[in-house]
Amino acid sequence: MRRLLVITAAALLMSAALPSFEAKPARLFIKNATIVPVVGARLDGGGILVENGKIKAMGKELQAPADAEVIDASGMFVYPGFIDSYSHFGLVEIAAIASTSDFREMGKENPELRVVWAINPHSVHFGTGRVTGTTTALVAPAGGTFAGISALVKMDGWTVPEMTFKEAATSFINFPMTPRPVGEGIAVQSEAKEDVTSKLVDKIRDYLKEARRYLELKKLAAGDPGVKAPEYSARYEALGPVLDGTLPVIISVEKAKDIELAIKFVQDEKLKAVFRGCAQGFKVADKIKQSGIPVIIDSLYTGPSEPEDGYDAPYRNVVELAKAGVLISFSTGDSPAQGKDLPYHAAKAVAFGLPYEEAVKALTINPARIFGVEDRLGSIEPGKDADLIIAAGDPLDMKTEVKQLVINGKAIDMSNWWETLYQKFKSRPE
Amino acid sequence: MKPKTTAIGIAAALLSLCLSGWVSAAERAVLFKNGRIITGSGATIDGGDILVQGTKIAQVGKGLPAPTGAEVIDLNGRWVMPGIIDSHSHIALEGDVNEMGDIITAEVDCKDVINPRDINIFYALTGGVTSIHTMHGSANPIGGRGIALKMRWGKSAAELIFEGAPLTSKWALGENPKNSNDIGMGPARYPKTRMGVEQSIRDQFEKAKDYMKKWADYEKKAAAAKASKGKTAPPLPPKKDYRLEGVADILSGKLWVRCHAYQSEEMLSILRLCREYGVKLVCFEHGLEGYRITNELVEYGVAVSTFADFWAYKWEAYNTMPQAAALCAKRGVLVALNSDDAERMRRLFNDAAKTVRFGGVSEDEAIRMLTINPAKILGVDGRVGTIEAGKDADLAVFNRHPLDPFTVCEMTLVDGTVYFDRSKYLEERKKAAEEEKTKKEPEKKSGGEV
Repeated sequence: MRRLLVITAAALLMSAALPSFEAKPARLFIKNATIVPVVGARLDGGGILVENGKIKAMGKELQAPADAEVIDASGMFVYPGFIDSYSHFGLVEIAAIASTSDFREMGKENPELRVVWAINPHSVHFGTGRVTGTTTALVAPAGGTFAGISALVKMDGWTVPEMTFKEAATSFINFPMTPRPVGEGIAVQSEAKEDVTSKLVDKIRDYLKEARRYLELKKLAAGDPGVKAPEYSARYEALGPVLDGTLPVIISVEKAKDIELAIKFVQDEKLKAVFRGCAQGFKVADKIKQSGIPVIIDSLYTGPSEPEDGYDAPYRNVVELAKAGVLISFSTGDSPAQGKDLPYHAAKAVAFGLPYEEAVKALTINPARIFGVEDRLGSIEPGKDADLIIAAGDPLDMKTEVKQLVINGKAIDMSNWWETLYQKFKSRPE
Repeated sequence: MKPKTTAIGIAAALLSLCLSGWVSAAERAVLFKNGRIITGSGATIDGGDILVQGTKIAQVGKGLPAPTGAEVIDLNGRWVMPGIIDSHSHIALEGDVNEMGDIITAEVDCKDVINPRDINIFYALTGGVTSIHTMHGSANPIGGRGIALKMRWGKSAAELIFEGAPLTSKWALGENPKNSNDIGMGPARYPKTRMGVEQSIRDQFEKAKDYMKKWADYEKKAAAAKASKGKTAPPLPPKKDYRLEGVADILSGKLWVRCHAYQSEEMLSILRLCREYGVKLVCFEHGLEGYRITNELVEYGVAVSTFADFWAYKWEAYNTMPQAAALCAKRGVLVALNSDDAERMRRLFNDAAKTVRFGGVSEDEAIRMLTINPAKILGVDGRVGTIEAGKDADLAVFNRHPLDPFTVCEMTLVDGTVYFDRSKYLEERKKAAEEEKTKKEPEKKSGGEV
């Protein structure tokens, strides 16, 4: 899609005439829109004024300033930009080609690694992934027990620093999974298998203990020349903000039993945790709610964790977690090539009973809260970043075309790899 | 994706069999009243009725009278579409079905390894899928035979077979047969390039032609010997070669050829080869670059069974777009949307909706990509693919339009038999949960609280 802009001649002339040091604030005005602000009431036929990347004002009576770029959104819907709560955008181009993959490091303990060192801002998946409305994504590392440090990035920019919204957004722990016992019929989890899981959890606890000891020793050594400082460890250093609760840690966990273990682990270790996955969360939804730990829902393109959970378990899980009052958000999971499907996961949950408003929140304000950036993202409110979706219909509908995205107050270039191919081959004579 | 077949699957299968409220069809009549019927042949009948007699659709229309003794099911304005046909699947097969050890495996047959206990058959039904075409993997330029199945969950392997459906032959080009992505396939071997893949096919055709000639000669001599009444000694038959028999079946047109291919140029190249040997290629599997050569595909008359938007998982799947299916369809290529995956199979109707957005096909055309188009590709369009009198009563019932983002498949019928009924499934689940609860409570009491 080309930019859907009606730039007034006056604005063009002015910007051409003005010397850059006297540049006027960049203003964008979206008029005649049906605005779904997520926080606050829906506004039919309203305007949004954007100034210097931020939402300046919104309202029914609002008029476009003379120097603003104007987007006429008649018949269109404006939503806050969607936030993908877990992705590998920019870290992998083609899954089968190792040379294009940078999200999974060797080894088990890599808490110090940062995705911002590896993101390719010109990955085609940024362009294609945002066509349905994603304006911000958590870009996550994967693999091992401690995978590294994720970043929140805006889906537009020339360089990684330009795109980066929060360089260190979360840490990661991949929680051990109780394996399904091998054997005939529906068997109960064996004691032995549970012990294996607990032992693996103990290993993580031991690692955290070591990190704490390192940090304490270092502190002691700083104040007491008699204490020998420990040898520098980037890994333990990186766990500092996790252990003092300033950096949230995303814990991937699937089975009900493991979720209970993980809740205890989080409480014992006093971590600021976010769960990811929780495929069997519906079995322990109240316990998750009690713990106050939010849940990032993984891609719903999956079957049930176990056949007994029922064919609809992935969708029902979302509904039950929301019903219990757990703060949930959606994500697209492992493949940035499927990144555009973010709102479709939400739609699937709605189909199976999640209230529509909750689904939209789980794409916007909920992830903003989970990542502690609700002062900047997740709703259309004055003062927040102007990250907006302008869509021809309901953005949760696969049939809806998103006409324009606004990121950091700028109507971005909507061209992408698919569109390039489409335009080219559509023109081949028949 | 590998079909998941475990003992647990069996148990769960039996469980969901009870849950699905399996109703036997016999020869009785069922009148489905007051639905919104997407016939699949262009028309949508609001407030329409479908009369099912035995396994067939007897009548479709408005205000149909219920024959005496007929069961009447009120659809309450729910949507009915023809049962979805997934023309590229790997479910309902026993174990690992990618024959890596050899390049050409025309002798193997999926029919020998049908697994009727694969829970994915039930999952297919929950997504409105009533027929599939299941195949082995894509390691071989010329592979074995695939088979069309109906999702008659709970029936035996033999009863799953879509009776009368043409037999298929699975070929594969590109990265998989040339072993590019090192998915645990051992040491390097020929073919390692697209050149070698094509030559592998040519080599086999030449061998098979020789083989066919030997047998033709033998049969001629044998007939002559028989006619000579003992004067001429009967000839010795050539050595039987199952592999070449399989290839011969392709050359003689007994099998409908389905060719796994991604790149446009290798598709063109194989079409040239097929013309040369007089082989009819029915369908390209995946065909993600098919949109580049629609003129040639239409000229040859080959279909494309493809994904709505799955891409970029390997190099040959990179140069494509979600508009590809629509662009092919708009230019006259017969297009089916397939799953190739037990999970995607459950939401093919969502995939169809995507082709409306990307590339802009009509909703009717999107529905056809799941129904009559794959039926044509499988050669079963006389039996299934539309809702019309005389066809098999394979139906999928949805609470909203199947292309609505919030739709849920509520009921699926194969041959007039209800194999999946969500409301019954939920009832049974509730009951089972309550039973579980009451079972646990007495335990708690006897737990010895002091």
